[in-house]
Amino acid sequence: MASETQADTRAVSLRSLVRRYTAQTPQRLRVIDAYMAFCVAVGVVQFVYCALAGSFPYNAFLAGFGSAVACFVFAANLRMKTDPQNRHQFPGGSAEGAFGEFVFSHIALHFVVANFLG
Amino acid sequence: MKLWTCLALASILLGSANAKSASGDRVLVLVPKIESAKHYSKFLGSLETRGFEVSVRAASNTSVALQIDGERAFDHAILLAPAAKKFGDGLGPLDFTRFVDDGGNMVVAASSELSDFHRKLAAQFGVVFEPRSTWAIDHANYLKQNNASDHKVVAASNFALAPAILSPEFASTSAKSQPKPTVYFKGIAHKYDAANPQLVPLLTGAISTYSGRDKGEKPMENTDTPLSGKSLGLVSAFQTRGNARVSFAGSTAMFSDALLSKRGGDNQRFVEDVAKWTMQEKSVLRETGHRHHLSATGEQPGHYRVSNEIVYEIDLSVYRDDAWHPYVADDVQFEAIMLDPYIRITLNHTDSAGSAPDTATYHGDIKLPDRYGTFTFRVNYKRTGYSNVDVKDTVAIWPLRHDGYPRFLSAAYPYYTGSFVMVIGFLALSAVWLFSDEPASKDKAGAAASKEKPKGKAKHKSS
Repeated sequence: MASETQADTRAVSLRSLVRRYTAQTPQRLRVIDAYMAFCVAVGVVQFVYCALAGSFPYNAFLAGFGSAVACFVFAANLRMKTDPQNRHQFPGGSAEGAFGEFVFSHIALHFVVANFLG
Repeated sequence: MKLWTCLALASILLGSANAKSASGDRVLVLVPKIESAKHYSKFLGSLETRGFEVSVRAASNTSVALQIDGERAFDHAILLAPAAKKFGDGLGPLDFTRFVDDGGNMVVAASSELSDFHRKLAAQFGVVFEPRSTWAIDHANYLKQNNASDHKVVAASNFALAPAILSPEFASTSAKSQPKPTVYFKGIAHKYDAANPQLVPLLTGAISTYSGRDKGEKPMENTDTPLSGKSLGLVSAFQTRGNARVSFAGSTAMFSDALLSKRGGDNQRFVEDVAKWTMQEKSVLRETGHRHHLSATGEQPGHYRVSNEIVYEIDLSVYRDDAWHPYVADDVQFEAIMLDPYIRITLNHTDSAGSAPDTATYHGDIKLPDRYGTFTFRVNYKRTGYSNVDVKDTVAIWPLRHDGYPRFLSAAYPYYTGSFVMVIGFLALSAVWLFSDEPASKDKAGAAASKEKPKGKAKHKSS
């Protein structure tokens, strides 16, 4: 009985979470969220492949997997800085500045990855 | 001396006949007294007819020298004086082993009156003769004569399976219908070192053969089991690492005219086989050439790279019947060694048209190990009765250059795709970010609200 009611409350809270997310999250942040989920998917696929096929070109694995992880981190950073709710935490920061940092970090990252890939 | 002149005459007559041996034709025969050479006239005559330059000397002749100015004076020595305590001017056993070390070949015949000299000499080769005045005796297999059969004349027929040394008829796997070949042997037995691969017991005792004293003589003192059967050696052959050959026969009598011409015996053939083998007239192997190169280009670089595919070839010939012939076998092996053999493969005999008619070419397609270092390419061919062939090349195998490795690995394709997908994802996100205007979307929301507002207003109005 208790578990049923727990499940009920969980389902209710999940539904309310989804409703509030769709209602309140700006489109840009939703795009970033989708991108972060994509990063996780790419990283997981590479990790599973490495676990199955062996870590032979280990540098290539590190480059590919690290690229996914770093992209995730950069996207998280961008999301934090551009979320209107966090505006008071980053006084003087603008969305354009955050995006500039994001682009610069990516360029540096992909240079490193391409060099390390093999 | 008469015989001597006979032999000399024969050698002049046969002067045109070239020596049959691969190593040389000067033979020193040592007999107790020069007159006793006549007992061996058949054996020595056969050497003469085969083209050898035979020098018969008495054991006590002080002018006998194995070396002159540091060079071998003879190519072969035949010792038919078992009782002699020394030869020439104080030649000891070590002089004879040095002779063998220098590449000389030796036939040593023993008898019941064997001197310490011969024991010491034989011991150098893993052959230990039985005590003085013992005989190899067999009460089942002996020379049967009408009057006074002698059980000390053993009719031996236990031959070693050594096709390189003995003629095919001595092969022990001959058909039962044929009479077994028999060698008459009167003399002393020896123990041989069965663990020594250089020593081949050519003729051993039958199950009923034993080593003991003759009737009427004092029996042997020690109570050890007497030497008998297969472990009783009658004739043994030894080949040194330098391919010199030494044969030990416990019987001088088996070389004598009396036993060579005995009916029903095969002494003639057996003694000839032993003498031919010992004096390098048969089963002499040599390597006439070997080469290795890259299979792809056919050139031999100063060094190979790991995992190179190469071709190794070696030419082998065998000396028999007075000429070099191709040596054909299916067990010639190649090894690539760096402390341990990394590769050991059997080379195939190929009939390449380019090779000389007296050599057989062995060919191997080899993929070098994926390991760099200094390797030795080696063909180490050691077979019973044949000369040893040991060919070594030291070859450097280098690792790949930094740019010699494959550029893209198929195993890493998922990682390549992963990183490129991340680049594309970044570009896509940037594009969406730049071209979807957030304020505009706010405006949209505002516009939607404003659209709704008029509607609401309208509704309001309408209502």
